Amino acid sequence: MRSGYFKDHYSGLVVLTDSPTVKAWVGVLLLALVAAPFLLGNFALSHLTIILFTLIGVLGLTVLTGFAGLISLGHVGFLMLGAYSYAICVSRLGLPPELALVMAAVVPAFCGLVVGIPSLRLHGLYLAITTLAFSHIVSAAILAGGKFTGAGRGITVMRPTMLGFDLSSDRAFYWFCLVMCTLAVLITLNLRRSSFGRAWVALRDNDIAARAMGVNLVRYKLLAFLISAALTGVAGAIMGMYLSIVSVEAFPFLLSIEALAIIIVGGLGSVLGAVLGTIFIVTLPETFSALMDVFGGSLKEVMTTSAHEVKSVLYGLAIIGFLRFDPRGLRGIWHDIRQAWVFWPLRY
Amino acid sequence: MNYFLELVVSGLAVGAIYGLVAMGFAVIYKATGIVNFAQGEMGMLSAYTTWALATTLGTGSVLTVLLAVVVGALIGLVCERLIMRPMLGEPVLSVVLVTVGLAVVLRSLVTIIWGASPHKFEVAGADDLVQMGDISLRVSQLGVLGALLLAVAGFWFFLGHSRFGVAMRAVAADEKTARLMGVSTARVQAVAWASASGLAGLAGALFAVIYGLTPTVFELGLKAFPATVLGGFDSVLGSGVSGLIIGVFENLVGGYLSSTLKDVAGFTLILVVLMVRPFGLFGEKRIERV
Repeated sequence: MRSGYFKDHYSGLVVLTDSPTVKAWVGVLLLALVAAPFLLGNFALSHLTIILFTLIGVLGLTVLTGFAGLISLGHVGFLMLGAYSYAICVSRLGLPPELALVMAAVVPAFCGLVVGIPSLRLHGLYLAITTLAFSHIVSAAILAGGKFTGAGRGITVMRPTMLGFDLSSDRAFYWFCLVMCTLAVLITLNLRRSSFGRAWVALRDNDIAARAMGVNLVRYKLLAFLISAALTGVAGAIMGMYLSIVSVEAFPFLLSIEALAIIIVGGLGSVLGAVLGTIFIVTLPETFSALMDVFGGSLKEVMTTSAHEVKSVLYGLAIIGFLRFDPRGLRGIWHDIRQAWVFWPLRY
Repeated sequence: MNYFLELVVSGLAVGAIYGLVAMGFAVIYKATGIVNFAQGEMGMLSAYTTWALATTLGTGSVLTVLLAVVVGALIGLVCERLIMRPMLGEPVLSVVLVTVGLAVVLRSLVTIIWGASPHKFEVAGADDLVQMGDISLRVSQLGVLGALLLAVAGFWFFLGHSRFGVAMRAVAADEKTARLMGVSTARVQAVAWASASGLAGLAGALFAVIYGLTPTVFELGLKAFPATVLGGFDSVLGSGVSGLIIGVFENLVGGYLSSTLKDVAGFTLILVVLMVRPFGLFGEKRIERV
């Protein structure tokens, strides 16, 4: 007779979940997400769409910063590369959108390799600066690209027809984002529990010790950059489709900060954290303006005149607040709540 | 030849501003081991505050410069006490990300308070021209070079010959031992932040006097990064000198190649520096042991 929870196979330790309850809830969540367009209004649906494609990009950063511990302030550079590769492939080269979406992953991935090479020699802060430099160089290159990249004017992108499905309606586009996002979540979850994920975490915690254990530093750091850039590039392409224009102004440096804020608020190095963080940060400005509407007065005016600034202040305060008071992030709070729920009225 | 000289001289003037900010980066890195991503923003906030104070009080040129340093130092002290002090002892990654958060908050606050439209920072006599051979320079540009020289000399004396400077270097070299010897790390951090922010305030105000006061003054911080990297993050004096190199390099690229390249010239240079000599021209090479 079993007297406790024992794992007698290695596969039991790395399995995503062994709890039927979790599986059932995930099923319910997926069904709810699929049915959402029939239940929600236009505004809520577009908000949910934004959350979904933001999450894809955030998962890209989770791989790089959360798993492999490489700080990136140049996230927006990869987003921009993805969006522009897609736009250029579709409107300049006339490729089918499916192939263009693949290119939106391949081109940033290749550039990710190039940025990754200095990272082999650099630690933490220096890498942050290199990636920051990279994103500035990308936007300067696009602005200098003339007609081909649309320079300051940008490129208009139409909602495409993918694999026979017309994405021009908001509902179809939402489902497309849902499929891509689910794929991205599955990819990241499985990467984390595979040998790649373990190697990255080992490198993050102590790279010299990890190398002594036989982890190939060059291969895994470059791989982290490659996969992260590919995921982020796809997110950029979808963002371009959503905005229906790809321009340098549509990808401000604030997006890098937003992505960082999301993974910090959610809890570094976890997919669940990335999901919770994305929902929190994307909804934050809306919640805040709703609150301001209630209080009204001069604050409401500030909200309308300088929405971008208020948004940045909120992101900044979220970063500072969570790092200062609860570095485990929303995931930690979620665990506490779950623990309290399961064991109530006992403490543990 | 004249064109070349003009580029070099105006490059030196911009470079001196970069140098001042870069020295601030190095001071904080040396004392606390973190990079302060809010350096440019603290400079911007100081510049705006100084401008607001100077226009209401009607201070003269020298007094305005001093005011900028004092305002900068105060802002640094407040930021350190409220935000950085509670983070003492946390992992470097968290502390650095806090400065990123601080940067975003300060940057937007300035725009919310003073608006996005540019202002003119009037200082009596700053725009007068000085003729040096074939090249004419503004007084403010000469003033910047003078300020950098003073700052480099001051820090050379402070770090090498004063009691507190030695304590600062001790904390940088080995925090634990320094604490055992009775050095207060918190005080060292406070002084580092105050002086770095004072330098940033000086640089921000001078930049605003020469090029106008806009919410993009914070880019000074980004522009000064290459200087700090080139000089070496732990070399305060090296960073100051490297600012001049970056300024001249940027101006030459802008003058001879293209103006778009000018903005990224510094960044391209640091990519090379980081690959060839990550510890910079004047920095100390670190050997890591497990």
